[in-house]
Amino acid sequence: MSDVQSRGRRLFGPGTTVADLKAYMAPFVDRLGYKFNTEEAFVEEVLESELEILEETGDIYCPCRARTGDAKEDAKIVCPCIPFFRDQFAGLKKCWCGLFILEEIEDGGELLGVMEEPQGDVEVPAFLARDVAPGQIRHVKIGKRDVAVANVDGDFFALSNVCRHAFGPLGEGFMDEHVVMCPWHGWRYDVRDGTTDHPNADVRTYDVVVRDGAVFVVVGARAG
Amino acid sequence: MPVKLYALSTCPYCRMTRKYLDESGIEYDVTEVDLLEGQDRDDVVAEVRRVSGGASFPVVIIGEEVIVGFNKKRIKELLDL
Repeated sequence: MSDVQSRGRRLFGPGTTVADLKAYMAPFVDRLGYKFNTEEAFVEEVLESELEILEETGDIYCPCRARTGDAKEDAKIVCPCIPFFRDQFAGLKKCWCGLFILEEIEDGGELLGVMEEPQGDVEVPAFLARDVAPGQIRHVKIGKRDVAVANVDGDFFALSNVCRHAFGPLGEGFMDEHVVMCPWHGWRYDVRDGTTDHPNADVRTYDVVVRDGAVFVVVGARAG
Repeated sequence: MPVKLYALSTCPYCRMTRKYLDESGIEYDVTEVDLLEGQDRDDVVAEVRRVSGGASFPVVIIGEEVIVGFNKKRIKELLDL
């Protein structure tokens, strides 16, 4: 039973507090490679705003973005929205409003008001190394890119998630040493270089960095 | 140079932007988008999307320049502060 259930009331209902939101979000953003901003007063301010929005709308939408009224679109700006903006936020080293910062940032105060995105490659945290065991592969959405990240005996490799045959999801495929087998029709790809035994059907690969227990996929800066 | 600010009443960066402009003695026109209702709100959100390419706030328009986010450095440059 979770802490929430054991307290006998539901989160995101009447009486939800800033402390509740913090306790609920912290373990989740940790798995994404982020933490709360080190500026505690700022964190309080953002979460207070979210509680006002919760009361008005029934969910904790980002206080810095406008809702569209389209439920599917608006779901992307429910806090924490990191999974929907991984590449942009990795470039900024924080989420849009600065509530969350990359795990490795020591002084989040220095990032407040900094909105410049880098021009070169960006290391985007995908998940924690411990969340994908050796012999496993997993899909991660990075901006518009669909990437599959594989763990081969502790070494991580990233390649396109999309099989060139019939667009099957390689992140749901079966691993055998360095080879992933597409779950749809069994096409094989070497996760180290994206090569396949079919003609003209190799997939692209991405560099991967593992640091402080987190797996980062290196992608080019966002267009525009 | 005319300065226009699109903001949300809930957004800390929007408050920081206002504070910065106020303290710098800049006159500006501000619209708090989330305090609008119905068609007015939809129209303004559509306008923000048109000029900024999204619905992230604050949006500061200085002359022809559109700045998304509280980018103090850029505001400073454009307003010669």
